[in-house]
Amino acid sequence: MATAAVYSSPGFDFSNEIRNNFLASKGIPLPKATSTGTTIVGCIFEDGIILGADTRATEGPIVADKNCEKIHYITESIRCCGAGTAADTEFVTNLISSNMEMHALTHNRKPRVVTAMTMLKQYLFRYQGHVGAALVLGGVDATGPNLFTIAPHGSTDKLPYVTMGSGSLAAMAVFESGWRKGMSREEALTLVKSAISAGIFNDLGSGSNVDACIITANNTEMLRNVEMPNERVQKERTYVFPKGTTAWKKEEVRKLVVQEEVRLVGEAMDTD
Amino acid sequence: MASADGVFSPSGKLVQIEHALAAVSQGTTSLGIKASNGIVIATEKKSPSILVDDSMLEKVAIVCPNIGIVYSGMGPDFRVLLTRARKSAQAYWKRYGEYPPTRVLTQEIATVMQQATQSGGVRPYGVSLLVAGWDIHRGPTLYQVDPSGSYWAWKASAIGKNMVNAKTFLEKRYNDDISLEDAIHTALLTLKEGFEGQMTEKTIELGVITVPTPAEIEEGRTGAATGRPKPTFRKLTEEEVRDYLAL
Amino acid sequence: MSIMEYNGGSVIAMVGKDCVAIASDLRLGNQALGISSNFQKIFPVTDRIYLGLPGLATDVTTLREVFRFRVNMYTIKEEREIEPETFAHLVSSTLYERRFGPYFIEPVMAGLSKVATGGFKPFIAATDLIGCLNFAKDFVVAGTASSKLYGAAEGLWEPDLEPEQLFETISQTMLNAVDRDAYSGWGVVVHVIEKDKITTRTLKGRMD
Repeated sequence: MATAAVYSSPGFDFSNEIRNNFLASKGIPLPKATSTGTTIVGCIFEDGIILGADTRATEGPIVADKNCEKIHYITESIRCCGAGTAADTEFVTNLISSNMEMHALTHNRKPRVVTAMTMLKQYLFRYQGHVGAALVLGGVDATGPNLFTIAPHGSTDKLPYVTMGSGSLAAMAVFESGWRKGMSREEALTLVKSAISAGIFNDLGSGSNVDACIITANNTEMLRNVEMPNERVQKERTYVFPKGTTAWKKEEVRKLVVQEEVRLVGEAMDTD
Repeated sequence: MASADGVFSPSGKLVQIEHALAAVSQGTTSLGIKASNGIVIATEKKSPSILVDDSMLEKVAIVCPNIGIVYSGMGPDFRVLLTRARKSAQAYWKRYGEYPPTRVLTQEIATVMQQATQSGGVRPYGVSLLVAGWDIHRGPTLYQVDPSGSYWAWKASAIGKNMVNAKTFLEKRYNDDISLEDAIHTALLTLKEGFEGQMTEKTIELGVITVPTPAEIEEGRTGAATGRPKPTFRKLTEEEVRDYLAL
Repeated sequence: MSIMEYNGGSVIAMVGKDCVAIASDLRLGNQALGISSNFQKIFPVTDRIYLGLPGLATDVTTLREVFRFRVNMYTIKEEREIEPETFAHLVSSTLYERRFGPYFIEPVMAGLSKVATGGFKPFIAATDLIGCLNFAKDFVVAGTASSKLYGAAEGLWEPDLEPEQLFETISQTMLNAVDRDAYSGWGVVVHVIEKDKITTRTLKGRMD
């Protein structure tokens, strides 16, 4: 097997295509997949990179997940925020994370952020935008802090502060007015939090909580739900129904074995 | 298609496999010991000449965060198997969201090795492997895989040049409640028997499995901090090996 | 009309205190025409995992067999039963294999997973039709009544419900949501999974 096969595609199965295209030709459109409307951001500060994301996943106008995780693991010191088709962001980051681990093992050194960026852009370009992942990739490696955006068609940008997703305009407005070169960790985290909050409160596709990830040369700190501005208030009353509210026609109970005990009864067997 | 070489001899033996085992027993000795709280795998590293840059030689290798392997026999064959094992572990992770249990990974490697005993145009792999791993279902386990593709679980085993003596030595030294620290020392003592030349951090490689506590396991499963469980296998650094040799 | 509405049907799963519940309606339709009032959409995977498959009925049957095959192969190879978290990943990767020609199914899973420190922990999850996992802490819904189920469950669910209370909550959520969905209904089945038993009840529902 050639070494190149390490970075092979997951190999999609197209065998339902004919049926699904037939249905589409009858005027039945493909149903929507879960997408992350999303505000995702990243910025460079004096010691490294801070990534930020909201936690809302949507299915059309419905909020499908109120607290999902959009900052994906690539390596210990490289992380990636995902916007777009939720399944694509999840699987494309998993694939590249797996390839990066193989890369690190075969070459016996920590892989660089540009390596992940190149793997991602080549993969996304191959699928011509059909793998709908818009990414913010950040991390610290031997060359220092690195921050990129990768668009679904495979184009990339290298900038000191970036935003993506439906809330990118709201977040960029905050970055454009507040970002300065060489910010401290606290200043940068505050800026990232307010950029994500701008998305949460002004963009319908974004909502719920703020996640952040601070990556420095020798430490990665994942701040899950670092701010929770939309927590549900405690219900004043409970809606527990009294037993017997629901009428049922049939009941079946299947007992499961939880613990087995073997007890000897009678004379012990002669085993000689 | 079976080639003329890959057929049974009248006595029921496959000579190619016998020859592969001979290649293994020419390789430097490797061994593994299962302790109550972990596993150690160790090997002797010998370069044919002092002119060889041995910093690039690697005999104890990481397959995935919970599994490590060591070999005796032919280096090039080992590297092929190592890449296959790593790919297999990654494929498992992509499907199930977790790394393979030691037994499953060992079976995968054994299958690859078995196929080389029955396919046309290939020869068996000239290596024996010791696979050490930890998983939540079976805890720490140590397997040996031979060129025929057969595998067994061991409490302690040795492969390579000095395997017969080493095994006899281990049989005398082993007990069920040996600690990992003691196991590392026993491993070094066993290698010392029949070691040619100086035992240094340059000529010894060590890898260990550390069993996580139940609390660590739960944290690894839900840990939002890294999103990944902590590795249970790691190679000891040259400094660590030097410290163990000094004791 | 979306293909997801061709046969109708909905599934919901909820977390309780040391227990989980999963419920579905029993309707199978051909668009507006009702065909069956006993079309099961929830299947046992292991003793402590149940899988609900709302969506296109032909894919319900196909995927049920696909997962039965894959879980059986797993059980033989690993010599043990699959854990809910692992099964959820298997469902996810199986669906994503067909990213560009999907099955029209939105799976919902409920089960109890073994804890390293002993005992069991409630587990629920759902994915979209191409396998994006959603591990919720409270409840997950899918199917033609999903928009109604979200609202009802958001109001009625609360933490730490005992098995009998959880049964009432999931039943009332389901019954009231499917009453406002033309494509779901014709009876409801509820499974409550506890560490030592599984209670399956068929509910009285509207038949119109």
